[in-house]
Amino acid sequence: MRLTTEEAYRAHADAVFAAAFSVCRSRADADDVVQDTFLRYLTKPKEFESAAHLKAWLLRVAINRATDLTRSRWRDHLSWEEEIAALPFEAPEDQRLMDAVLQLKEQDRIVVHLYYFEGYSVKEIAQLIQRREGTVKSRLSRARAALKTMLKEEWNDDEP
Amino acid sequence: MTNHERYQRAFSTLHASEAHWTEEPNMKPARKRYMPKALAICAVVALVIALAGIAYASNVGGIQRTVQLWFHGDQTDAVLDIQDGSYTVSYKDENGETHQQSGGGVAFDMFGRERPVTEEEILAHLDMPEVEYEDDGRIMVYYHNQSIDITDKFDDDGICYVQLKDGEKTLYLTVKYQNGYSVSETRFPSPWEFN
Repeated sequence: MRLTTEEAYRAHADAVFAAAFSVCRSRADADDVVQDTFLRYLTKPKEFESAAHLKAWLLRVAINRATDLTRSRWRDHLSWEEEIAALPFEAPEDQRLMDAVLQLKEQDRIVVHLYYFEGYSVKEIAQLIQRREGTVKSRLSRARAALKTMLKEEWNDDEP
Repeated sequence: MTNHERYQRAFSTLHASEAHWTEEPNMKPARKRYMPKALAICAVVALVIALAGIAYASNVGGIQRTVQLWFHGDQTDAVLDIQDGSYTVSYKDENGETHQQSGGGVAFDMFGRERPVTEEEILAHLDMPEVEYEDDGRIMVYYHNQSIDITDKFDDDGICYVQLKDGEKTLYLTVKYQNGYSVSETRFPSPWEFN
């Protein structure tokens, strides 16, 4: 399957943006990542097996680009605390959750985002970010413990 | 409320900016290459020397050069058009059939500002090894006069590492099966670093 870039953007731009933001912690950089990701899609002559395959590819490109960006770019914009203070959250605990997530290590943020926002399994995350399942499990476990410490009763112990 | 629901509600407040994309029917994909800055700069030095004396002409708003490039192991005269960071290269194969390939892109300067890639960077880019998935199922690496069949060289994770030598120069190529490749002069790029 192959969607037009416009169709792919309509379907997945928000997911790509959220993944990029969870890495960059900057809306300006996340927007750049979104543009780069869909430009890559536009210029890549690749057929996808399914909508899920397309989305996983877009997320992988975005996460890699976002990681590159945070390592290589000199940046002059709002701190991430200021960034999330400007977001229109439904409830105060939503802001506290995002604040806690953005305090995690970058590699842990990626795994947490793919697990809790995108709903991928550990195995799928391992394939997507090309790491071993054990590595993903360990990052997820470390992130959950940190989130529990920061969020206390606002974060459940409901995962194995 | 589960952690999944909490997380999704919090992060659903994030939205990408509005944008509209138009497919360009004549737009051909750039070669799927990741070009580290350091490599680009090193390669430029060699190319500037190699290209001395090459025919040169300016076209309308851009630059047109006749250059010698390697395609599939054969050194070929090609016409290279460069305009605003984009390029089109045309050449004839041994049967006289004309082939064309286009690409381009942007780079970031030390202050993070975007700029079109330069002519030198495009030339360096064209001088890199390329990986081709042939119609007969073989996967080939072409670099200058070398043609290497890597079809059976991928590991269980779909990664293949190839060391290429041409004279004094050594390149380290990492290929992800049907998912791009990356080149470095100093080490094998990690598969994590590129798509």
